Amino acid sequence: MSKIKILHMYADMLDLYGDSGNMEIISYRCKMRGIECIVDKYSIDSEQPDFSSYDLIYIGGGADLEQQHISEDLQKCGDGIRAAYKNGTFLFLICGGYQLMGKHYRDADGVDIPGLGLFDYYTIAEPNRRKRCIGNVVVRTEFTGKTVDIVGFENHGGQTQGVKTPLGSVIYGHGNCTKSSHEGYFEKNVIATYMHGPCLAKNPEVSDYIIGYCLDRGSNEKTVLNALDDKLEKDCRQVMIDRLLNK
Amino acid sequence: MNGILIIIGKLIVAILRLFKRNAGNLPGIVLWHLTGGKCCKMFKVSCPIIAVTGTNGKTSVTNCIAQLFERSGKKIIINKEGNNLDTGICSLLLRHCSCSGKVDADYLILETDESHVPVVYSQLKLETLVVLNFFRDQLDRNGEMETLIQKINGFCKTFDGNLLLNGDDPNTARLGRANPNNKNVKYFHAEPYAFATKTIFEASEGRFCPFCGEPLEYEYYQYSHIGKFKCGKCGFGDSVPYITAEKIDLEKPVFTADSHEYSPKLNSIYNIYNMTAVAGAAKLYGIEQKITDSVISEYTVNNGRMETFMLGDRRTTLNLAKNPVGANMTLRVMNEMQGEKELLFVLNDNVADGLDVSWIWDINFSVFERVTRVVTSGTRAYDIAVRIKCSGYPAEKIVVRPDLDEAVTELAATDGRKFVIANYTAVQPTRAALKRYIEKHGGKHE
Repeated sequence: MSKIKILHMYADMLDLYGDSGNMEIISYRCKMRGIECIVDKYSIDSEQPDFSSYDLIYIGGGADLEQQHISEDLQKCGDGIRAAYKNGTFLFLICGGYQLMGKHYRDADGVDIPGLGLFDYYTIAEPNRRKRCIGNVVVRTEFTGKTVDIVGFENHGGQTQGVKTPLGSVIYGHGNCTKSSHEGYFEKNVIATYMHGPCLAKNPEVSDYIIGYCLDRGSNEKTVLNALDDKLEKDCRQVMIDRLLNK
Repeated sequence: MNGILIIIGKLIVAILRLFKRNAGNLPGIVLWHLTGGKCCKMFKVSCPIIAVTGTNGKTSVTNCIAQLFERSGKKIIINKEGNNLDTGICSLLLRHCSCSGKVDADYLILETDESHVPVVYSQLKLETLVVLNFFRDQLDRNGEMETLIQKINGFCKTFDGNLLLNGDDPNTARLGRANPNNKNVKYFHAEPYAFATKTIFEASEGRFCPFCGEPLEYEYYQYSHIGKFKCGKCGFGDSVPYITAEKIDLEKPVFTADSHEYSPKLNSIYNIYNMTAVAGAAKLYGIEQKITDSVISEYTVNNGRMETFMLGDRRTTLNLAKNPVGANMTLRVMNEMQGEKELLFVLNDNVADGLDVSWIWDINFSVFERVTRVVTSGTRAYDIAVRIKCSGYPAEKIVVRPDLDEAVTELAATDGRKFVIANYTAVQPTRAALKRYIEKHGGKHE
């Protein structure tokens, strides 16, 4: 039986707007295909795991306070995560997880939280706590090889700048900054986004991109995943797209 | 100036009433603008004010405390319709004050929204604050959890009145340390009930000590993060309760507090917590025991909180779930019941619901037992269907009917026990749809 191994970091602290649901969805879609899916958890002061042994590292979002709590611990994992990323481990990062892989995150009080600096972008939180990017968001993506409009829910004060390879273009909502044209960050083994909801709930193509990548990691083969019945998920997304874009 | 404002407010109330409109909030909104946001400041209140706040159970506890005083022969004013923001409370006082703004009553009992506690009680003098619990609820309206607790904590730093706190909720109990000089901090607590667990069962907040950051140690969890906790490092949670619910038996249901047995009508653990808070308030104000007994034993609700409908001969229980905790409680009640059953879940995403519906992913659906079919409805009928499917429930047993009347007809199409969960703005439309079904096809609304 094929197998994927996931490290879910700080699940007990970074879990906003259903973020842990992403792990439930990946596990579900693996189970339906007979793929074994192991999800290990890592939190503050856990023993340092062998990051490179994981196919996927997942980090969700949290409030400023929680991000401050974990940032020191995250630095300790910096070398491990960097090596894993270079070694082809997939990084799936939501909101706070997204911000902390950049150069730095300046919170609403002006306090700088250092990021791991894996990527060139950086984030500055809007100092006025009431001015947040909140609402449903529709993002047009091409990374799966087809045009797919994905739908999620964003709620962030952070304005992320310096993204050279975004996940997609914003059709509805804010994206990386207030009213920005692009959303998220993408590399072939990185999806970083502000989309909660959870992000994968209505977007089975994204789940399958990640699962497919993980199965093929370190080999030259291209696994074709069995199709699942995604009617509910796709109807769910279409209802939102029709509503938001007044179709 | 105050006199003029009050007369303007009273005029708006009179006009709204003339057109048979509810004057629950609008007069307050107008005065809020005229007073630069200080719409409660112009009233002269000389009687004690008791406020109840928290995520779940505010309405129940406020009504019960009001009953304690009413049955003791006191004149009370209460915001019964749940208008619990500053503008709602202003509208309420406008209806009950003289033209000089004097409010005439023995006690004001006010359900108060969590985020409005500091706003309202910086303007009106508060005697007692009852805080029930803090859960994730409408996160994007209130900002994040911590911001909300910080706001109330800031208020408590200078508050020296009675503070009656849920000692089993770390998010609530921490308020007891806000003002070290306040000698009137009291905690209510409950001993473990039959379904209490050693490990946490549902998604939750507050796993870390807010004072020193250590993970909290739990002796038991009652539901979500509510339970007997302690910080091994700084001793947070180690307080002596003012009142304790013991010998809890939800089958009957009964519980004992201060060696007295109470028999509430509703059989959920969160109702036991609410009633313990009520018994605590009764103790604080020296209410006669037989009055407290009658209030606690008679209290029931018919506003979509464990409300019963008969769809023909099919018994149907409707429960409001504004957040995962409420939904998990209903699922527990459903699971603890023998036999097969079907569930209708109605999910809306209107402004008052908080626009986002991701909280449904914090509901633990994997516990489903003997649930033979699920119908989903509401503006986000598909979202809840996807969520239940991904918990491992067979997709072919899920029926999506966004239209409520169609959903109720679908639910009633088979025999057996039915449960309905509806979120905040979905409750009243769901009640209406259930009643329409009964009118058309027979049955009873109890």
